[in-house]
Amino acid sequence: MNEPRKTNLRQSLAEKVSFLISLSIVTAIVVLIGYTWVTGDTAPPTLSVTTGANIREAERQYYVPFTVSNVGGSTAESVEIIARLLSSDGNLETGSQQINFLSRQEKRNGEFVFTHDPQQGELTIRVASYKSP
Amino acid sequence: MKKTATEGSEKSQLQKGVYGDNWQQEAKEIVSGASGGFLFGIPLLYTMEVWFIGSYVQPEILLSILGITSIIILLLNRIEGFRTKESKTLSGAIAETIETLAIGMTCALIMLVILQRLDWQTPLPEILGKVVFEGVPFSLGVAFSRSLLSGEEATDSPTGDRESSPSDDRSLSLRDTLADLSATLIGALFVAFSIAPTDEIAVLAASASPPWLLIIMVASLLISYGIVFAADLTDFDRRRQQQGFFQSPQTETIISYLVSLIAGMLMLWFFQQITFSDPWFIWLRYGIILALPASIGGAAGRLAV
Repeated sequence: MNEPRKTNLRQSLAEKVSFLISLSIVTAIVVLIGYTWVTGDTAPPTLSVTTGANIREAERQYYVPFTVSNVGGSTAESVEIIARLLSSDGNLETGSQQINFLSRQEKRNGEFVFTHDPQQGELTIRVASYKSP
Repeated sequence: MKKTATEGSEKSQLQKGVYGDNWQQEAKEIVSGASGGFLFGIPLLYTMEVWFIGSYVQPEILLSILGITSIIILLLNRIEGFRTKESKTLSGAIAETIETLAIGMTCALIMLVILQRLDWQTPLPEILGKVVFEGVPFSLGVAFSRSLLSGEEATDSPTGDRESSPSDDRSLSLRDTLADLSATLIGALFVAFSIAPTDEIAVLAASASPPWLLIIMVASLLISYGIVFAADLTDFDRRRQQQGFFQSPQTETIISYLVSLIAGMLMLWFFQQITFSDPWFIWLRYGIILALPASIGGAAGRLAV
């Protein structure tokens, strides 16, 4: 403190090290944001949903896993997924699910629940809608 | 490195004011800066909308937010800052700004991972969005840390009234313990009461498995210990005169965590987030999630005693 000109210089090794670490953290953040800016495309979301193979049965209910993914450019909000199961005896069961946000390259998982065996009927799972954030 | 500095803090605090090539001094400043960041940043960490903004914001907006935040922190560092030395030159203040941002963003990243808002599957743009948006309040807290944590109003009261004859020791120690307990409660209420009725508790609790709950508990203990430790740094002499069960920082941290946990559960019950018909593990799970902000508030509250 008694050397006003020197107090602000990074004279101690500890300060130098923490400054260098800090500088690299901040630089990394800025570079990564710049990278996502350059590589990011402004194309609309492209949403797809796939059903998992391993349907499980518990307490006379059938759980059908699904994965919804966004392979497009921008984020989708309120992604709505609808499932329809038309069983062989003509019974129709529906289910719907909403995902708050689905960023570019993001995947989310969930399960639809039916009371009839999906393997004995006609199952369709599709993405119904989304909105732009 | 942080941990060893914490352990050795007791001795080095006696040589307060000695600067220079000192790793402990550096670690102390960073821990106290981070404590301020947690105190200011935690309420926004428990806000879903901030996570959502981070999910969709464009990179160019993120860069401008980083830029604006850096300018605000730079201005703050010209008059305040987390370091005990003032940054008188512009280059010093710029260096301190970079450090402030780095501490804030790192703390925000750690908390987002602990609360499972980020994991290995999260895409890079979303990680950056969330870290920058949550990192802004954390960084501001780091810049404010010295005024947030010094409890300056309390230092105005004459410290002489703490001194006593040995015969007074028991009643004084009880009085100090009670004062510390109520300060913990007030601080916990101050930070956690506005978080308790929100949906975030249920959302965070839903994604927390038992090992994650343990991690959240450990994080709560470490952060409140950090705040207590930072308090010793800013106000060491006054606090050493205090007596009671809260005298050792370790005991203080654990007792006040339990107080915060119980206070958190009561707040959740008050807002009907949990009821007596709920199983015990729901109480524990919700309680642990709310005890994180509550214990941070509680630790900060004791600084004002």
